[in-house]
Amino acid sequence: MQLKRVAITGMGIVSPLGNDVNSFIKGIEAGKSSVCYMEEWAQYIGMNSHVAAPVTLKDEKKIPRQSRRSMGRMSIFAAQASDQALADSGTTLSEVPSRRIGCVIGSTTGSAKSINDAFEIMLPEKDLTRLSSTMFFQCMSHTAAANVAQYLGLTGYIMAPAAACASSLHAIGTGYDLIRLGKQDILLCGGAEELHPTVTGSFDILFATSVKYNNSPQKTPRPFDKERDGLVCGEGSGILVLEEYERALCRNAKIYAEIIGYSTCGSGFHMSQSDKKSMVYCMSEALSNAQIRPDQIDYINAHATGTLQGDKEEACAVKELFGGSVPISSLKGYIGHSMGASGAIELIASLLMMEKGIIYPTLNLDEISPDCEGINHITKPVKKEINTILKNCFAFGGINAALICKKI
Amino acid sequence: MTEQEVVDITNKVFEESFEIEKEKLQPQAHIFNDLGLDSIDIVDLVVALQESFGVKIRNEEKVRNIRTLQDIYDFILTIKNEEGRKNS
Repeated sequence: MQLKRVAITGMGIVSPLGNDVNSFIKGIEAGKSSVCYMEEWAQYIGMNSHVAAPVTLKDEKKIPRQSRRSMGRMSIFAAQASDQALADSGTTLSEVPSRRIGCVIGSTTGSAKSINDAFEIMLPEKDLTRLSSTMFFQCMSHTAAANVAQYLGLTGYIMAPAAACASSLHAIGTGYDLIRLGKQDILLCGGAEELHPTVTGSFDILFATSVKYNNSPQKTPRPFDKERDGLVCGEGSGILVLEEYERALCRNAKIYAEIIGYSTCGSGFHMSQSDKKSMVYCMSEALSNAQIRPDQIDYINAHATGTLQGDKEEACAVKELFGGSVPISSLKGYIGHSMGASGAIELIASLLMMEKGIIYPTLNLDEISPDCEGINHITKPVKKEINTILKNCFAFGGINAALICKKI
Repeated sequence: MTEQEVVDITNKVFEESFEIEKEKLQPQAHIFNDLGLDSIDIVDLVVALQESFGVKIRNEEKVRNIRTLQDIYDFILTIKNEEGRKNS
C-alpha cells in the first residue's frame, strides 16, 4: 500500500504571549517572558512554586453560548486555536467530504478548574443536585477534542490522546498516521491545557517546579542553565491543520512543511524520571521513519522544561545521537510549560523559524549547565536556512515522542 | 416573597446563566422556542432556580410542564407560598 504524504497547511495558537500566531511569535522574537507571580497560589499549604505563564482569555463570548456551555478554559483555547488554524488553511468544511475531516486534540486531563469545581460542589454535602449538566463535558478527558468537534461540526475521526506533556505531539503523530493511511483527508491536530493550582501542585509535590524565582518570575524557567530549578506551568492551545499532500497541492494551499517522520515509545523505566536511552531510541526511530540521517536535521526544538533531571537526560540523548553540531533551543523560558499543548505550540514556533530562516534562542540560558554541555545550544537569535526540524516531547508516564518536519 | 421578586430573580437567572437579553424576557416567552434553551439547559435552569430561591425542585414532576417564563413564576410562587404556609 502506497502511504500518502501529509502537509501542514494551517496553524492557530492561544498562548501566554498572545492569542494568535502573530502576537505569539512577536513575543518570542522580542525575547519576552510571559511568566508572572501568582499571588493567589500562596494560600495553598505546601505549594512552593508561585509562578506561572497564564493566558489572558479574550473574545470567548464570540463562541455561541450553546457551544461554550460545555467548554472549560482549555476547550475555549482549543476552539479559538482551531478557528484560527482552519481560517489559516484557507479550506472550509463544506469543501471536504463528510466524515473525511476530524480532529485529534490531546490534553493531560479534562479542565482542571471544572474538575476542582465539580468536587467542591459535590463533596461537602455529598450532594449531586447542585452540579450543572455541562460540568461533565468540561471534565471529561476528551473535552477539548469533543468540544472542538461539536463547535465546528466535524464528523470524521474525533480522538483525544492523553499522554501528559506529550499529548499534542501524540495527537499530531496520530493525525499523521491517519492521513498517511488514507483514513482521513484533513485533521485538526494539537493540544490544549489550562493552568490551575492543582496542576502546578502535582509537579510541586514531586519537587519538579521552579521555587527559587518567585520574586523574579521572568528569570525562570531556565532550560539547560546552571541555575535551573524546575519547570513553570503555562497554558494555551496549539492546533495545526494536517492535510493529505495531494489535496493541499490541488487547491494551491500554503504548505508550511511536510511531516516526514514520527515516533513514540515508553521508557519502561520510571513514572516521572526521564530516560536518555529511550529518548535516543525515540529520536532514532523518528529519523529512521523519515529516512534521514541525524546530520540532516537543521534544528531541534527541545522539550527541555528547566528540570534538573529532564534537561540533563535530553541533552545527553541529543549529544549521543547528534553530537554537538545541530542547533537546539527550548521555548519554555518564554511561555512556561504548556504541558499537553506544548508540543503543538512549540512545533508551530519551529515551523515559523523554518519559514523565517531564524532560530530563536533558549531564554534564560545564561550559563550552560555542565551536565547539559556538548550540544549546540542557541543562546542568541541565529539566522540559518532550516529545511528539516525535529520536535521532542517527553512526558510523565515515561512517554517519549519525536516528530520530524521538512520544508517543501 | 412577592410576585415581582420572583419575576426579578427568575429573569436574572435567564440573563446571567443563559445570556438572554432583558427585552426578550416576557412572561409569555416560550423557554425553548423563544429563548433558545434546550434539554441540557433545563438541568442548569433547575440548579440555578434551586440556588436562587433556596428550594429543592429537581425531582418535582411539575418541572416537566414548564413551557413559558410565566409557568416558572407561577411554579416558584406556589412552592414559596406552600413553604410559607408550612412555616406559619
